[in-house]
Formats: sequence, C-alpha cells, structure tokens
Amino acid sequence: MNQPLSTITELESIHTDREPKSGAQLLLESIEAQGVDTVFGYPGGAIMPVYDVLPRTGLRHILCRHEQGCGMAAIGYARATGRTGTAFATSGPGATNFVTAIADAFLDSVPVVFVTGQVPTDLMGTDAFQEVDIFGITLPIVKHSYIARDPADLPGMVEEAYFIAAEGRPGPVLIDLPKDVANAVTTDRHKWRPYPKIKPATVRSSHISGAESMIRAARKPLFYIGGGIGQGDGVQEFRDLVERTGIPVVSTLKGLGSLPNDHPHYLGMLGMHGLKAANYAVQECDLLIVAGARFDDRATGKLDTFAPDARVIHVDVDRAEINKLRKADLYLDGSLKKNLAALTPGRADCGDWRELCHARRTQYEWDYQSAQDAVAPGIYAPKLLYDLSRKVPESAIITCDVGQHQMWVAQHCYFDDPRDHITSGGLGTMGFGLPAALGAKIGASHRTVITVSGDGSFMMNIQELATLFRYDVPVKIVLLDNSALGMVRQWQEVFFDKNFSEVNLDDNPDFARVAQAFQIEGFSIRTRDEVEAGIDRLLAAEGPILMHVKIDPNENVWPLVPPGRSNADMMER
Amino acid sequence: MTQLQRDRTFTSSGVSGTLKIVLHDVSGTLIRALGTIERRGYDYRDVHCTQRVDGDFDLLVHIEDVGGPRNLDTLCRQLERLYNVVSAEKVGRRKRAERA
Repeated sequence: MNQPLSTITELESIHTDREPKSGAQLLLESIEAQGVDTVFGYPGGAIMPVYDVLPRTGLRHILCRHEQGCGMAAIGYARATGRTGTAFATSGPGATNFVTAIADAFLDSVPVVFVTGQVPTDLMGTDAFQEVDIFGITLPIVKHSYIARDPADLPGMVEEAYFIAAEGRPGPVLIDLPKDVANAVTTDRHKWRPYPKIKPATVRSSHISGAESMIRAARKPLFYIGGGIGQGDGVQEFRDLVERTGIPVVSTLKGLGSLPNDHPHYLGMLGMHGLKAANYAVQECDLLIVAGARFDDRATGKLDTFAPDARVIHVDVDRAEINKLRKADLYLDGSLKKNLAALTPGRADCGDWRELCHARRTQYEWDYQSAQDAVAPGIYAPKLLYDLSRKVPESAIITCDVGQHQMWVAQHCYFDDPRDHITSGGLGTMGFGLPAALGAKIGASHRTVITVSGDGSFMMNIQELATLFRYDVPVKIVLLDNSALGMVRQWQEVFFDKNFSEVNLDDNPDFARVAQAFQIEGFSIRTRDEVEAGIDRLLAAEGPILMHVKIDPNENVWPLVPPGRSNADMMER
Repeated sequence: MTQLQRDRTFTSSGVSGTLKIVLHDVSGTLIRALGTIERRGYDYRDVHCTQRVDGDFDLLVHIEDVGGPRNLDTLCRQLERLYNVVSAEKVGRRKRAERA
C-alpha cells in the first residue's frame, strides 16, 4: 500500500468514536484518515451534503471545470506522486462525465478513488432527476465499486477502497453515495474485516532458479518491460538486474524511463511506432523476459509473429496477465520488485548479441538535422521536442495527449524515471494531457510540469485553463498545431488512399489569444529560428504559460507498423 | 437450472466448459462475475447458483467462447481477481454430474 496513512490513532478513532455524525462527515473524515490532502471535484445536487461538510475538513479541494477534468487531474496526481488520487462528482451527468477517466485509470492501472453522489435511496430505480446507475455503468472498468447504503459502513468502506485501489495491480475504485445516506446521522460504526484475499507477495524459489537457468542458456536474451516496473516500485531492482546480466532492453510506452534513454543497454520503445533497433531485437531474440508488460497489441503487432523464436519468462504482479495472450514458458507472479531482486543469473552469455543490438541502435539513431532538412521549412516537431526535453530540469514531468505528438514525445523526449512520463497509454484518451498536468503539478509542486498537446486533443479539455489560472498552477503547455487530427489524417493518407475525411481543423482558434482570454500567458511560434527563444521563454515563465507551435500538417510519425502486421514490417518515410 | 437463449451472431470456436465460482454474499458480486465472463469473450449457456452453509454462493456456469479461441484458465484468473470472488475453477463433466 503506497498511500501514506495518518496515525494509527486517527484511523482507529474513525472506527471507534461514537459521536453522532452524518454519512458525509464520516466519508470525509475517513478519506482524511487515509492521508489524503487533495481532492479534485465538482459539486452538484446529489453530492451537496458532502460539499456542505467539506469546508470544515482539512482537505484541499481543487474545483476543475468539468468532471472529466477532475478525474484526469486525479490520475495525473496519482501518477506523479505514487499516492492514490481522489475525485468527487455528483450523480447523473456528473457521474457519467467521470466514466472516461475511470476507464483511463483502469486501463493504465492507476489508483484513484472516485466518489459520486447518488439520488436518495428511495428514488433509486425510479428514473429520478439526475439518476443514473453509475455502479452498473462502470462495472467493467473498475477494480472494485460500492453503493453505500448505510452511513455506518463508510469508515470501513473508505478504508477498504483506498487499500484496494493501491494494492497489487492498482486501479480505480468507485463509491456511489446516495444523498439520504450522506445526510443520515448515526452513532454506529460497522466493523469491516480487513479484506482476507490479499496474500503476502511470495517469491517462488523454484521458478527463480528455473528463470536463471533459462537466462544462462540463452544466447539472445532481451528484456521487454512495461509500466509495471514503475508501478511495482521496481525501477532500482530492474536497473540492478540489467547491470548484473548485461541483457538489452526494449520498453513499452508505459515503461519509458524505467531505464534512462542513454543507458548503453537500452534499445528504445518497441511496437507500432517503436524504434527499429528495438523491434528487430524482439523479432530475433531467443529469450524474452517480460516484466510488468502485458503483450498489448500496440506493442506486439500481429501477435503470432511477435518474437517468433523466443521462449518467454513473464514477470507480473497480476496472475491474470500470465498466458493471456502469449504462453509463458515460465512465470514469476507476486511482487515484481521482489522477483527482480531475487533473480541473480550472473552475466548473460550474449556478447555477440549485445554488440549486434548496440550496433543497430547506433545505426538507427535519430539524425535530427537530416530529418529536418528533408521536410518542409517550418518547425520540425521531433527536433523541437528533443531540444525541449534536454533543456528542462532533470526532475521535469511531461504529460501529453493522444495522437502524433504523443508518439513524438515517446520517441524524442528524454526520460530517466517512469513517473516523468504521464500519458494515456491504454485508453488513448484525447484531452488527457492538460488536466493530468494540472494534477501532477498540484501533487508534485516542486517539479517542472510540461504538457505537450495537439490541436485536436487540446480542445477536448481546454476549460481546465481556467483551473490553472484559478489556482495559479504553473504548468507549461506546448501546443503542436498542425490544423488537423494528425494521426487520423496520417492513417487516411497511408491506409485509406488519401481519402481525407473529417480531419481538417484549419478553422482552429488563435490558441495564444485563447490562453490570454483565460488570463494565461500565451504566444505563438511559426519558424525554426523562433524555437530556441520560444523554449527559453516557456521554461522561464513563473506562472502557467502556453506556447503555440505551428507545424506542418503533412509531417507524419515514423516508423509505423501497419495494423495487423508483424513488427518486422516497419514502414518509413 | 435455467437454459438461456443467447444471441448467436458469433459462433463458438469450440472452447467450452463449466466453471465453479465461489462468491461471497455481497451485493453486486454475481453480476460482476457474470459480466466478466461475457466481456472476456464467452457466452454462458447454463447458470446455477446455490447458497452454501457458510453463507457463500456456489455458481456453476457452463460457457463457450465467442469470436475466437480463449483460454479458460485465464478467465478463471480474471474472475479470481474480482473482489468477493473466492475462487474460480474449471470442473469436469463427471464432477458436475456428481454435484447435480
């Protein structure tokens, strides 16, 4: 459990005090007792009892301008801090506006507790005003969920909700709170047993020794790592294992930063927009050691052609991921951190393979100058991102939205910690970047937070500029504007015979002026010679700032593995 | 035992079996388990639920996959990942007949 707890005394008092308290009081006191200090929310009818009590608590409430923004800010907060995020919304549309954020947290395994107001119990099921069955709607996308039917249940329910959100493979938990339960006053506190299912993580020594034998026997071993390394707090253990074995590494989108980009054994991101050195290594390896990754289709391409000659060792905290898509020859379940620490196979006997991988990495290194010279004379986004990420402080966090710019961030920005890179990997949620950056900056105020967005994505949660201004949150926004839904346009160009359909956004507003209308500093750059000064101005700003960057709509993301094809079939410019 | 009439838009690739799922008596657990079965690519043909003396429920579900071959062991792990699902396992025909 990574949620810092208040003192045991505070926790016990929540369960043992017999003061008459309302459900709303018990909810908020119980949340505070979990060590929560910040909540992202938006009030409304059914959750008004909670907001009535809120000012009398120690919780800091961040009023976003849309419930989706609240949910994604809570995700950004959780991913930047490693703590469980918390978000409030009312019933009906407030709750349904949470749905995308809940799904995002589910697919990216982010611990967030979502609290929704609900119509009074006697109106549930009557199609009452602002009634929606959010419990039913979200069943497929929560780790767990509750309908609170008795205020006396709330202390135990809240404690369990935060525990479940953070334990094992993290995920979102929903508490739906009917208004009458929030208003009801009780002196009772129902006892909740600690959930009995949670078993201490164990390391199976027979599996460890089996894995070590496989590693020693391999001549072309390869690590394929994902977001589970960071989420399982296994970064240092993984880095130590790489040093011990000398085995090359490829990473998924979510695994970026688990090994620094410039580490000699790092080959880059694999998959649809992966680097050639990484994809070739996967195709040729004879042993794939999968750690905290799940054979996502964006990473594997056509599954039955993925690492065709490799035996597989799968290390994951979630037993349900083992053998789900690719059969593992051996698996290590339970704590990823402990399993990685327990693996001591010695130096892998793979010198020739290591040299081949390194040679390919050098061969396929990005040549920004040549690439920039080969394209239109405007600003070349990959080089801008490369330059930006090398100018930012080491501790900077970069969030992004979804589309071409997301892949450029993954390919060209430098990361040396998985918490430095906050992206919507599983759900691919446009509109994620700005609220996630807001939450990240509020949770990690000492760190520089940059969000890189596209003109399509940015418009989806643009209202959160008002939240940046309201709380003076100094997020730095880089808006790459190609006047198009760039990734869709690219696919229409490449796979749909240039039949461009509904991707033109050349009537975008003047984004710099939009930012100014929200009382945020905004400026535009359009030429290459403005890039350096633009980045300097962005990084020097003390408050929130938006740099609008006009880029060529015809620039695409390369390499590209066509959908349904092998990762070996990479297309290039 | 209820025989369910299901949508036959997708045909089974032949993976079928009976699962025994033990559930805590907690609101929402049954629908969570059945929903997981459908969302993970299976249709259920028979559903039989009985309460045990310890208050938990035994849920016997006969299922078959739709839209592509699936791994029943993976489904069991996915069911066991649900809170308030105590266990999920494949049961053979004989075992099922004995129970019936």
